[in-house]
Amino acid sequence: MHTGRCELKAVSKIIKVDYLSRVEGEGGLVIEIKNGRTAKLRVNIFEAPRFFESFLRGRPYSDVMDFTARICGICPVAYQMSSVHAIEKIFCIEVEKPIRELRRLLYCGEWIESHALHIYLLNGPDFFGIESAWAAKEYLPIAKKGLTFKKLGNKILTILGGRSVHPVSVRIGGFYKTPGKKALAALLPELEKAYEESLKEIKWAVGLNFNDNSWDTEYVSLTHQDEYPMNHGSVASNKGLIMPMEKFIESVQEYQVEYSTALHSGIKRDSSVSPYIVGPVSRLNLNHDRLPSEIKNVIRESNISLPVTNTQMGIIARTVELAYAFYEAIRIINGYDEPDKPFVDFEIGAGEAVWITEAPRGILIHRYELDDAGHVKSCTIIPPTSQNFGHMEADIYHFLQNNADKSEDFIKKESEKIIRSYDPCISCSVHVMKIEK
Amino acid sequence: MKRPRIGVFKFTSCDGCQLTILNMEDEILDILELFDIAYFREATDKPLRGQFDISIVEGSISTDWQKEDIVDIRERSRHLITIGACATSGGLQALRNWASLSSYKKHVYPSPDMITALSTSTPISDHVYVDYELWGCPINKDALSETLISFLIGKRPGIPRYSLCMECKRHGIPCILVSNGEPCLGPITKAGCGALCTSFERPCYGCFGPKDDANIESLMRYFHNLGLTQKDCISLLDKMNSYAYRKVRIEGSK
Repeated sequence: MHTGRCELKAVSKIIKVDYLSRVEGEGGLVIEIKNGRTAKLRVNIFEAPRFFESFLRGRPYSDVMDFTARICGICPVAYQMSSVHAIEKIFCIEVEKPIRELRRLLYCGEWIESHALHIYLLNGPDFFGIESAWAAKEYLPIAKKGLTFKKLGNKILTILGGRSVHPVSVRIGGFYKTPGKKALAALLPELEKAYEESLKEIKWAVGLNFNDNSWDTEYVSLTHQDEYPMNHGSVASNKGLIMPMEKFIESVQEYQVEYSTALHSGIKRDSSVSPYIVGPVSRLNLNHDRLPSEIKNVIRESNISLPVTNTQMGIIARTVELAYAFYEAIRIINGYDEPDKPFVDFEIGAGEAVWITEAPRGILIHRYELDDAGHVKSCTIIPPTSQNFGHMEADIYHFLQNNADKSEDFIKKESEKIIRSYDPCISCSVHVMKIEK
Repeated sequence: MKRPRIGVFKFTSCDGCQLTILNMEDEILDILELFDIAYFREATDKPLRGQFDISIVEGSISTDWQKEDIVDIRERSRHLITIGACATSGGLQALRNWASLSSYKKHVYPSPDMITALSTSTPISDHVYVDYELWGCPINKDALSETLISFLIGKRPGIPRYSLCMECKRHGIPCILVSNGEPCLGPITKAGCGALCTSFERPCYGCFGPKDDANIESLMRYFHNLGLTQKDCISLLDKMNSYAYRKVRIEGSK
């Protein structure tokens, strides 16, 4: 066994993960350690760019939801939600309550599907030291539970949108067609059972083994006075930031780094740009008082100390939100009455608007400028994962401060785990191209 | 019996079609008993090794290194199946085939020189031999399990090649094109989605791509009579399968 100091001093190595696995999209990681210190650290993104913001130019407003959904097969609803609200703001459309609620229900479906996928199939295996959700017999019951949750999320998406990947029902002013009360109510028995089960899952997640990698950082999410945020609210952080959506986009600096096809982002303050984190951990930290008392009690009983300051505990925040999404879906369905008309009428006009919604992985920022005919003049799309890249690197950097002397294999595995705890969606983050492979 | 070895590969895409594999919640564990999923980066850490009985490929070719990788994958594969609009038709990102790449890069990146991409996004079949194509944006998961099972029992997959109109009739959906006068791509589009859009009372936007021998010109004339301009018509065809619709249209006019 080596514990000698001299060895620690001399540590110099390059650690490379060519391909990150169990994440959506294509990226890698390079760490260079010189004399026991981190000299270089980068999450490489070589997912090929697709230039969405370019080919959206000139397209009619009605194409935007179908097009932007294709940025991500795992969270298409998020893209539809941010874009539909932004364009409705330009056209000064106010949708009725049932439509607002149905859109929230659609988001519940996506949170369930995406969170269950990540908790049980992508991130879960990390805590059991296995390469996939089906690599060990002992893990199979856990994987099966995840699949049952995920299927129910997809079922909500299918009833509301026809299919779970790239649903077809969302349009400006509402939906092409709304479901009847009966069709939704039929989901209730399954949802109630899943909700009960999911409350236990919070305790399961808390019982997993975490390496402590806490540090003082900035959590950013939407916040809303009456509800846990999804489609509405202001942008807030634990560092005192609170501002309307359209102001926040001005505070975000997107910057390009040579080793990545995804733009990075940070918050501008005076002359510096600092990384921040978005996603379930941030949402939970800033909005836990909006959760229903039943879930709050489970959080208390499970001894989850809030705020969560270790991003590796993203899986805990995700199970809390999984339970919440079931709770909320049940509430919405119970209070639902089918509207007389699936969408409101509106007039097309020119203008510019920003809208932000809470994708499963965090705030998704859209900005559109339309001309008189309702065609896109310009747009900006800032996905959650590109906002998280800078923070991801900072997180690994912190981890290495105490662990640079550990074995390459250990560093590699733990760094991958840190990255995976963000549930990065690299396909999303790349409006984007391979630089290093 | 030795389980056939499957590899799942991704090129330029949204991940939605490979997610379809994980969305087969009821079937996935059975599939794992019948097949050895030997490479699937979205779900397992297994490194790329050896040959595959079936390679399932998502995504389009839009960079230099992808041109090399797809040849390598083909050489490793006894059968190669492409899944989704990106792999079969270049995807939405093929819209850049009809525009200038340099202006595209400028719109997205502050320093466009740092980005290297091909000026086109093309289907896998433009680069290597493809044994079977599953169309759709995204693909239908029943079509994927049908294809995998067909492989096991050595039959041709029963995937429809006729138009969406057949599916609408079977579902008893009133014709949006004829009754409502809305520009529906159903008559020239492959069936397979289950008539989703039309069941939501919206016209088909062609995410399953052109059906074999589609008479696109005739439908465009019909749209023209509905009051659509030439530009409107092109805009309807230029979506996730622009490459395929343009190709079939040109072939049809010869």
